[in-house]
Amino acid sequence: MRPPLRLGRLARALCLVLLGMGLAACDGARSLPGPSQGVLRIALDSRPTNLDPRFALDANSSRIAQLIFNGLVRYDERSRVAPDLALSWEQPSPTTFIFHLRPGVRFHDGRPLTAEDVVYTYTSLLDPELASPKRGSYRGLQEVTALDSLTVRFTLSAYEAPFLGNLSLGILPRPAPAGDARAREGMRTFPPHADQRQLIGTGPFRFARWVGDDALELRANRDSFEGPPKLAGLLFRVIPEQTVSVLELENGGIDLIQNEVAPDLLPRLRRNPALRVVTGPGTNYSYFGFNFTDPILRRWEVRAAIAHAIDRRSIIRHLLRGLAEPATGLLSPLNWAYDGEVATYPYDPARARALLDAAGFPDPDGAGPAPRFRLHYKTTQNDLRQRIALVLQEELAEIGIELQVRFFEWGTFFADIARGNFQLYTLTWVGVRDPDIYYYTMHSASEPPQGANRGRYRSAPLDLLLERGRAAGTLEERRAIYSEVQRLVAAELPYVSLWYSTNIAVMRTTVQGFRLHPAGDFMSLREVELRAD
Amino acid sequence: MRLRLPRLGLKLWVGGGLTLALLATALLAPWLAPHSPTAQHLFEGLERPGRAHLLGQDRLGRDILSRILHGTRISVYVGVVTVLLAAGIGTLLGALAGYFRGSLDELLMRLVDIFLAFPGILLAIALMGVLGPSLGNVILALVVMGWVGYARLVRGQVLAARQLDYVTAAQALGARPRRVIARHLLPNVLSPVIVEATFGMAGAILAEAGLSFLGLGVQPPTPSWGSMLNEGRHYLLVAPHLTLFPGFAIMLTILGFNFLGDGLHDLLNPRQRR
Amino acid sequence: MRRYVLRRLALTIPAVLGVMTVVFLTLHLIPGDPVESMLGEMAQAADKAALRRQLGLDAPLHVQYLRYLGRLAQGDLGRSLSTREPVLAAIARTLPATILLTVVSLAVAILLAVPLGILAAARHNTLYDHGSMLLALLGISMPNFWLGPLLIIFFAIELRLLPVSGFGGAAHVVLPALTLGSALAAILTRMTRASVLDVLGSDYLRTARAKGLRELLVLFKHALANALIPLVTVLGLQFGALLSGAIITETIFAWPGIGRLVIQAIQGRDFPLVQGCVLVIALGYVLVNLVVDVLYVWIDPRLRLAAEEESEP
Repeated sequence: MRPPLRLGRLARALCLVLLGMGLAACDGARSLPGPSQGVLRIALDSRPTNLDPRFALDANSSRIAQLIFNGLVRYDERSRVAPDLALSWEQPSPTTFIFHLRPGVRFHDGRPLTAEDVVYTYTSLLDPELASPKRGSYRGLQEVTALDSLTVRFTLSAYEAPFLGNLSLGILPRPAPAGDARAREGMRTFPPHADQRQLIGTGPFRFARWVGDDALELRANRDSFEGPPKLAGLLFRVIPEQTVSVLELENGGIDLIQNEVAPDLLPRLRRNPALRVVTGPGTNYSYFGFNFTDPILRRWEVRAAIAHAIDRRSIIRHLLRGLAEPATGLLSPLNWAYDGEVATYPYDPARARALLDAAGFPDPDGAGPAPRFRLHYKTTQNDLRQRIALVLQEELAEIGIELQVRFFEWGTFFADIARGNFQLYTLTWVGVRDPDIYYYTMHSASEPPQGANRGRYRSAPLDLLLERGRAAGTLEERRAIYSEVQRLVAAELPYVSLWYSTNIAVMRTTVQGFRLHPAGDFMSLREVELRAD
Repeated sequence: MRLRLPRLGLKLWVGGGLTLALLATALLAPWLAPHSPTAQHLFEGLERPGRAHLLGQDRLGRDILSRILHGTRISVYVGVVTVLLAAGIGTLLGALAGYFRGSLDELLMRLVDIFLAFPGILLAIALMGVLGPSLGNVILALVVMGWVGYARLVRGQVLAARQLDYVTAAQALGARPRRVIARHLLPNVLSPVIVEATFGMAGAILAEAGLSFLGLGVQPPTPSWGSMLNEGRHYLLVAPHLTLFPGFAIMLTILGFNFLGDGLHDLLNPRQRR
Repeated sequence: MRRYVLRRLALTIPAVLGVMTVVFLTLHLIPGDPVESMLGEMAQAADKAALRRQLGLDAPLHVQYLRYLGRLAQGDLGRSLSTREPVLAAIARTLPATILLTVVSLAVAILLAVPLGILAAARHNTLYDHGSMLLALLGISMPNFWLGPLLIIFFAIELRLLPVSGFGGAAHVVLPALTLGSALAAILTRMTRASVLDVLGSDYLRTARAKGLRELLVLFKHALANALIPLVTVLGLQFGALLSGAIITETIFAWPGIGRLVIQAIQGRDFPLVQGCVLVIALGYVLVNLVVDVLYVWIDPRLRLAAEEESEP
């Protein structure tokens, strides 16, 4: 016979656990604002990592930072530089810019914007201890001086055309001198993202709070110099699974999703009378990158053959449901410097095969299974990228190239690409604004770790053009130079251009006035209104 | 004359039958499949089940039935190899620890603690990162995560069996440890290991599906049930057949392995059979 | 008893230390550079080198490891490389959501499994038995990332009973807990059934029956109590699986827990954040098992004696 058990003790222990659970559940209760309070709810698929404009790198962080902060200048829809906090500027010498600030602008905490705030923003950015990821883009900046309360002078070590666009960086208020030690400490150890002291800007919305780890609330800035927003606030909710965010939208738990909707779901969403689907041209550029240290891929014929083997139109029609435009180069037709009069490579497998034959890579058995040669192709685990990769694999098999596809976790993939450990890869350039991006991606001085010339492409004529483009003064001069750049790159094929993704927004019909921005920005949220059902 | 089945229990029959059917499908997949599992028909993407494609087509227009049939091979391969390796390593280490006890046992149990407390997903990402994603590395990751359970199980069994009279007798007669373990201890502890292994097969197939969700599973275009389920989950709202059928395949397989395990358990532990 | 607890407590130290060592080595072994992900491609090589020095990533591996252990000993988990906030703050923000999710899942699993298991054992080899077992198998054979959306479609969209996703009131936790708890419920149902069957056949229950107690009471008081012991052990072991499952379930349901935090951290090669999360997960696992073992000994006096003997020198 077994000895009796201490059931009483067990029961008591269980009761305690249950009680604790109940308490935890009550503690977990929270309410999120919604349309009834005039708050628009937007789904994001990944968490913005840092809203401080000096650190905002990922697309979601920079898009939200744009709503909270203003820069001296901003990019317009054609990626030209336009005034923002600076009303005007002059350039007394090639390396000196003088900016005149808009008077009467106030930060969210009521303090007026002065030249000192601009000085603070840029000096803190340049402080190596801050370790801002953006510091590298401002290496030509020598000194920032306040001439008077509304005038600020930037001195450069050498003139570079893209510099002006870089001044779109959001301006932060200078910390109060009283708390200097603390402010300095705060500057060094970086703003904890929940610390709103550091997230004070001049933009149409002000930071309100993080709710837990997954929801970010912004409130309207009634005193915005651009006029008060029509909404009372914004709520960004992080929902990683697309199916789930679409269900939330259908169910009324979310009001707006931008670009994070699979094209295949659009027919279903279009049929829903409570939803409205809007599409518009976008600037995100997808491409096929080559490694020029590879003896096979060095051959222009091989790259051209690959370009001719890809049936972009079929992929766009069937996989992307028409939500993309075939691309001619890094700059989209929406960019002021775009030139579409460049070499293109229409789908033509016969021509691709002829090119490979001419390059000295005959197909050993014609249409048989043996390939001319084998290439390794790396891409990420993104669902759409995987599918596109499998289609590309089939299309290259058509011309006798065996594509070995490998899908990598993002961190591993990116490390391999940066190290040049690849033959072929695909990626997308997001947020292409200044044509100087060609310098970062294709100039021979931009090989990692100095830049993003991952394929180690070297072309002396292109280098020269890119250096001239940087040094050029006027927009017209630059436009002419970058036309040549686009033609040269399209002819030499360091990238095979795939397509520009079309922007998509799906919203509830209560959302009025939302306009798509080519770069997928949220700028128009200032004018959005919520109507009752 | 009536055909008399051996009294093995319904579960064993059902489980054994399903398992055999699974193995047969795996072996005969290329002959059973009506289409190629990788041939694409882009313009027929997400086609619903019909006469030409009994279970429909996936996003790239590939035949789902053929992919499931071919996927059987991958899933069975992952299940069997993972379990053989994990059970083999776990049994060996568990037996050594249970037999010799002392510091070896202590060391092994601390190692077991570490593996149990370590998030397996991080391990999987690390392995795929260093070695590159492949079927072999999926199995490696599953083995590294899976051997611990067998080691604990066998250690406990050996600790108990050590006390049995005939084992002490063999030891007293001067039999060498290797002989005692192989001849006397292992046969005694093998039946729970076999039972555990059948459940482990099911677990490995499911774990592969979980790795697929994180993008760490079998690499496309190789069809595995886990990767099919994962690819299909984006179309749950517009094309549920993409997930339904691989899901059924997984369920049937797990049903089979579990019945087999239960049946074997009943057979090997007749005391508990009713 | 105290000696036993102390001994068990001491044993958790090498385990946790081992986990942290493995994490440290793993992170430094896998491709991906935290400086690269912090500064991006546009940064100057000199800036990258400076930051690497600032973060101490330029030191030899063993030096970094010792420094890391030193900071750990002082309770300093460092700062996240991406958000630059203290790791402890990020963990403090996300851990409660995960604890809530796992605890409710555990409760859901127990509340489903124990009655089902008892029913199956009490009505052995009947339709109830087969039905419960089939249900259990269903629970274990549906991967979370498939079951979750199906539950959302059924309960939140079709029936409009529960919220689709997110963290909020009590209603929000139901579907994620059901998703996460399903596999555990299946395992526990089988366990309960087996142990109840085992106990039902034992001598002392026959004695109890002979004494004339009502059958139901017999079942609940004796069979259940004995069945609980293996159940509690399994719970401890399955807690690790629950934490792993939480990573997937949190992603599906947009649940702001530590599982999602660690996945994001791994992808961004945010070393301090990954190390901090893993430390917490490992500690959680080890502590739950410690509590389980102690509870287990506390419930069952026979084991209590054994434990006290074991801890004698």
